[in-house]
Amino acid sequence: MPVKGASISIMETKPVKIVVYHCRNLQLFKPGEQKIFTRSRPGLSLIAIPCSGKVEAHHLLTTLAGGAQGVLVLACGEKACRYLEGSMRAHKRVDYARWWLQQIGIEPDRVEFVHIPPNDPGALDKFLKEFTFKLESLETIPPVAKIQTG
Amino acid sequence: MIVAELKPISEIRNMLDRYSSILVVGCDSCVAECAAGGHRETMLLAAALKLSYGKDDKSPVITEACLDRQCVDDFINRIADQVPEHEVILSLGCGAGVQALARVYTDKPIIPALDTLFIGETQMRGVWQENCLGCGQCKLGYFGAVCPVTRCSKKLMNGPCGGSKGGRCEVDNDILCGWDMIIQRLQALGELDRLSEYVPPVDWSTSHSGGPRRVVREDQKP
Repeated sequence: MPVKGASISIMETKPVKIVVYHCRNLQLFKPGEQKIFTRSRPGLSLIAIPCSGKVEAHHLLTTLAGGAQGVLVLACGEKACRYLEGSMRAHKRVDYARWWLQQIGIEPDRVEFVHIPPNDPGALDKFLKEFTFKLESLETIPPVAKIQTG
Repeated sequence: MIVAELKPISEIRNMLDRYSSILVVGCDSCVAECAAGGHRETMLLAAALKLSYGKDDKSPVITEACLDRQCVDDFINRIADQVPEHEVILSLGCGAGVQALARVYTDKPIIPALDTLFIGETQMRGVWQENCLGCGQCKLGYFGAVCPVTRCSKKLMNGPCGGSKGGRCEVDNDILCGWDMIIQRLQALGELDRLSEYVPPVDWSTSHSGGPRRVVREDQKP
């Protein structure tokens, strides 16, 4: 069983960079709460998007190439998706990004798709702990040069 | 439209490894429609290359750009200021796009990132169907707008073979019989008599066996 304190000390010295794309319709945070949630978790970036279906495979790979060690996509349940197909599409795109990582020789587990219940930041917190622990067991993706767009 | 698909990343890396700066150029026309070389795929491939090189402790400069069309000089010229800063161009255009870039940027190696497959249509999201071989002598008017050259696996011009069963082709049961489609459509249009007209065999000298084809229209020239 992992030593809880040890994990925290790693977090304190070298926080694992995680980017979370979360569907706005999950309503995870009340106004102002997102900042508080992020401040207490170093290395974490939360990005609210109108629907998880807005996420594309290139966003996920670009996020990793930009220095993140892991990316999470949080979506509503497939039947609860406000835009009907958004959650399902996001799932497929995450799978596609994982396929790409496999082709490159990078652990596909660095990108995860998660259904979580609405209005439940506790569920996100629980999953983040598990995800962080998993990422700590993987090698660090070497930093890469800044992506330029022409 | 031209349908293409991305080459394996290992093949792309193998061609690119000798260069230290790469300009990844997409094409937002046909190959964007078939999700192989548009803006999204350009960003995806650039990010994948960065991760792939990063994994090997290499960090070539990788820049992305996307042209509206990679086969027309007016669009190709839009990357003129970026090209000199890079050693190589990785093209996500079709074969025509790759060669057009090579003609314009004579001093740069151009590496194709796609395998160009065929002329086809988008049947549904994620499914692209070949339906034109570019034979140069279109006979679709005789065949109810279903091409026997591409839709019939045996390219028969004079009726179905004995292997057509239930509208499926004996070559592969997943393939619809081209001749079944031709007859069903002409029947529905009440124009089955079209098939009684003599259609001469295709003169393949106007296709690939006759060398590269060109279309020249004086009225369109400057």
